[in-house]
Amino acid sequence: MNLPNYFLADLPPEAALSPMMVTEACQALKRNRARYLAGRTTDQQVKLLSNLADEWQDAGSPFRQLALAEGPGQTGFSRATIERGLDAFFRRLTRENLHALLIQDLGGPRRLDELVAGVAEPASQRAAMAVAPELVAHITAGNVPNPALMSMVLGVLTRSAQFVKCAGGTAFLPRLFAHSLYEADAKMGACLEVADWRGGSLELEDALFAGADCVTATGSDETLAAIRARLPHKIRFLGYGHRVSFGYVTGEALPSAFRAGHVAARAADDVVAWNQLGCLSPHVFYVQEGGGMRAEGFAELLAAELEQREASEPRGELPVAAAAAIVARRGIYEVRAAHAPGNTRHWCSRDSTAWTVIYESDPQFQISCLNRFVYVKAVPDLKTLLENLESIHDRVSTVGLAVAGDQAAETTRQLARWGVLRICPLGQMQNPPLTWRHDGRPALGDLVTWTDYEL
Amino acid sequence: MNTGLSNFAARLRQWISTGGDVRLPGALGATEFNHEPPHARVAQVPERGSVSRSTLKSGGLSGFVLPPAAKFPRFLSSATPPHVGCDDADFNARALELFALQFRFNPAYQRLCTARGRTPERVEHWTQIPAAPTVAFKELELSCLTPEERTVVFHSSGTTEQKPSRHFHRAESLAVYEASLLAGFERHLGPGDGVFFLTPGRSAAPHSSLIYMFDTVRRRRALPESVFLGTPAGDGSWTVDFLAVIRALQSARISGQPLMLLGTAFSFVHLLDYLAENHVRFHLPAGSRVMETGGYKNRSRTLSKAGLHEMIRDGLGVPLAQIVCEYGMCELSSQAYAVGDEENHFPPWARVQIVSPETGREVAEGGTGILRVFDLANVFSVAAIQTEDLAVRRGDGFELIGRAERAEPRGCSLMAV
Repeated sequence: MNLPNYFLADLPPEAALSPMMVTEACQALKRNRARYLAGRTTDQQVKLLSNLADEWQDAGSPFRQLALAEGPGQTGFSRATIERGLDAFFRRLTRENLHALLIQDLGGPRRLDELVAGVAEPASQRAAMAVAPELVAHITAGNVPNPALMSMVLGVLTRSAQFVKCAGGTAFLPRLFAHSLYEADAKMGACLEVADWRGGSLELEDALFAGADCVTATGSDETLAAIRARLPHKIRFLGYGHRVSFGYVTGEALPSAFRAGHVAARAADDVVAWNQLGCLSPHVFYVQEGGGMRAEGFAELLAAELEQREASEPRGELPVAAAAAIVARRGIYEVRAAHAPGNTRHWCSRDSTAWTVIYESDPQFQISCLNRFVYVKAVPDLKTLLENLESIHDRVSTVGLAVAGDQAAETTRQLARWGVLRICPLGQMQNPPLTWRHDGRPALGDLVTWTDYEL
Repeated sequence: MNTGLSNFAARLRQWISTGGDVRLPGALGATEFNHEPPHARVAQVPERGSVSRSTLKSGGLSGFVLPPAAKFPRFLSSATPPHVGCDDADFNARALELFALQFRFNPAYQRLCTARGRTPERVEHWTQIPAAPTVAFKELELSCLTPEERTVVFHSSGTTEQKPSRHFHRAESLAVYEASLLAGFERHLGPGDGVFFLTPGRSAAPHSSLIYMFDTVRRRRALPESVFLGTPAGDGSWTVDFLAVIRALQSARISGQPLMLLGTAFSFVHLLDYLAENHVRFHLPAGSRVMETGGYKNRSRTLSKAGLHEMIRDGLGVPLAQIVCEYGMCELSSQAYAVGDEENHFPPWARVQIVSPETGREVAEGGTGILRVFDLANVFSVAAIQTEDLAVRRGDGFELIGRAERAEPRGCSLMAV
């Protein structure tokens, strides 16, 4: 399947973009939006998105087929990883979930269409309407495709024109999604642009920022600070900085070897999903001592599980530098394991860097080099666990939890008070619901501006 | 005192001191050496194979006769370059002998080898010798020297590093280091009195193996301490004394005598930025040379090698062919050099393999992988070192991949690198 040249990202790699091209694209997007998109209803957009999600889950979809056939070469993820990741994403993109999101973030499903009372407003004799940005620019990090796709979904839902700027070389899946939107509704597709350039190309970015009235960006704190400093004052900026996540398995969650195997399989799901590259992916699994299985045993189970996954859902090829980072990191633990085997053990895929599990008795949180490289650490209790997270305070996104029912309330309360932004069952870390509050903020709600009407 | 290792060290120094190719025109110590540009020198060298084994043997190197294939790569005919880490019975024998000694006398290394199931009885070829990752020098005391025997320790540099690598030495191991570094240095930088270093002297940085190297060169040439033009900064790094450098460069310009300027990449960036800010450009006398080494360590902006060399050419007026890039680290006792745009070469007593990070096996010609060095001059620590540097296998040498040439880091998750 050859994709037509609808977007800047469709141009051959040697075609250089100019600031003028970006400026003209922004003008065309806003013009097209005014002519078509602005007059659409939320219901129509919800229907468009949910139909599109259905299509992406259909084995016969040409876009899905292209994503699976060419994705491994374009993204580095294996076919199975892309398939599982995309299915998980599009399965959540239903009419019901979009409605739930509109109600949660905006107080009602028609608040983008007219001045209506939200769920809490009738008592105060008010109505309100959410007004979306005219043109949203998304600066995506590109390590995993879902955040870019989700940003695009929100832009479609709010009927904003959108310019998606992907990190260099990472446009493949956002571009396919954009083409599928174009195919479903060409006029809608004409309100969307996808481009791909190396971050820090100041002239291109300045042209983009001059045309947009809202900018969303995902990346390192330094990247976000640099973007924020260059934005005109009137532009709304939604920055999503670096976050880390981990798993916590309580002692009671491992009452038996059978149960432990099940928990390890869920943990492996989280490591394998998008090769652990997202900020919702775990760096460490903490295992509480005193349950039916020691942390070391859990690490061994996890290693066996990752070995099996490599056969069914391989990690795929890495750039040499990323593979070398894994080798260098393995070296640390090989050395430690040879000298203090009681404190450190390591399990590594043979003749490859496909997966690595490191057991350490030291409970200090460790940043992983990712790409299926995960730590397992023992802690006596949640209090000790939290004490060992000082290095990542204010940076924790998700905790994947395996906990016995009667402990769940107290454990989650402590995690929330400490500052964890999302707690989910182990195995679901990379699979947040559509209504997920991104980094603790309403993703849809933060995009809009309100007009209040007091009756 | 370990007689096995001492004996090995003595023989190695003898090999190094004669360069293994004493009979070759243009070899180390020959009077004509370095009086001509490198390319002209190569042309004078006889074809590989035209020097007989008996000629070399007549050098009287009992136990350490160097076959022609193990000469400096520079002297090899380009028609028949051996691949990186080419086999050579003599190197192999020495490497296996040293491995057996280090396995026995370096307990930390022994545990690492045992954990890998690679003991001297099970290793038949030098390429099978377990390479210690450089991180082992941070984690362990990776030395054949007992704590009492250690008199000097070299630390890895880097401002963000909490735990540096430590390479322990004593007089005997330093003698090997000096012999090895001088041979490589003389070979690639050549003679000349006008030598200046953009670093502080040894008293200000006693744990820097680079400054030890510079100081060894200084002592060999009987130069004063004032050839060190750097000053220590408060945070353990150092800065360049710009005015002192300018004085040195100006006096070279007046005298017309070629000058040699050596320093770290970040020091050159600092210097050239300073010169540019003050609208000063130099055109150093013909024959002047520059040696840069050691990367940036977050102490300046990071440039590609080509970018740095062009900046040096433009700011100092030294042609690219006269800019030498040195690769060394505190964990090694030998250095690799690349002159101009040529690939890097270690001297014959150190060999490299470029290995795939996935399989650990050597990559094909032109392939990229992790640089592994087998440095026989690391007599009293570990000869086989797995670095964290990436390189491309090029003929009988390698091309380093700098940080600047690597892919753009990206992502929303923090990631250890």
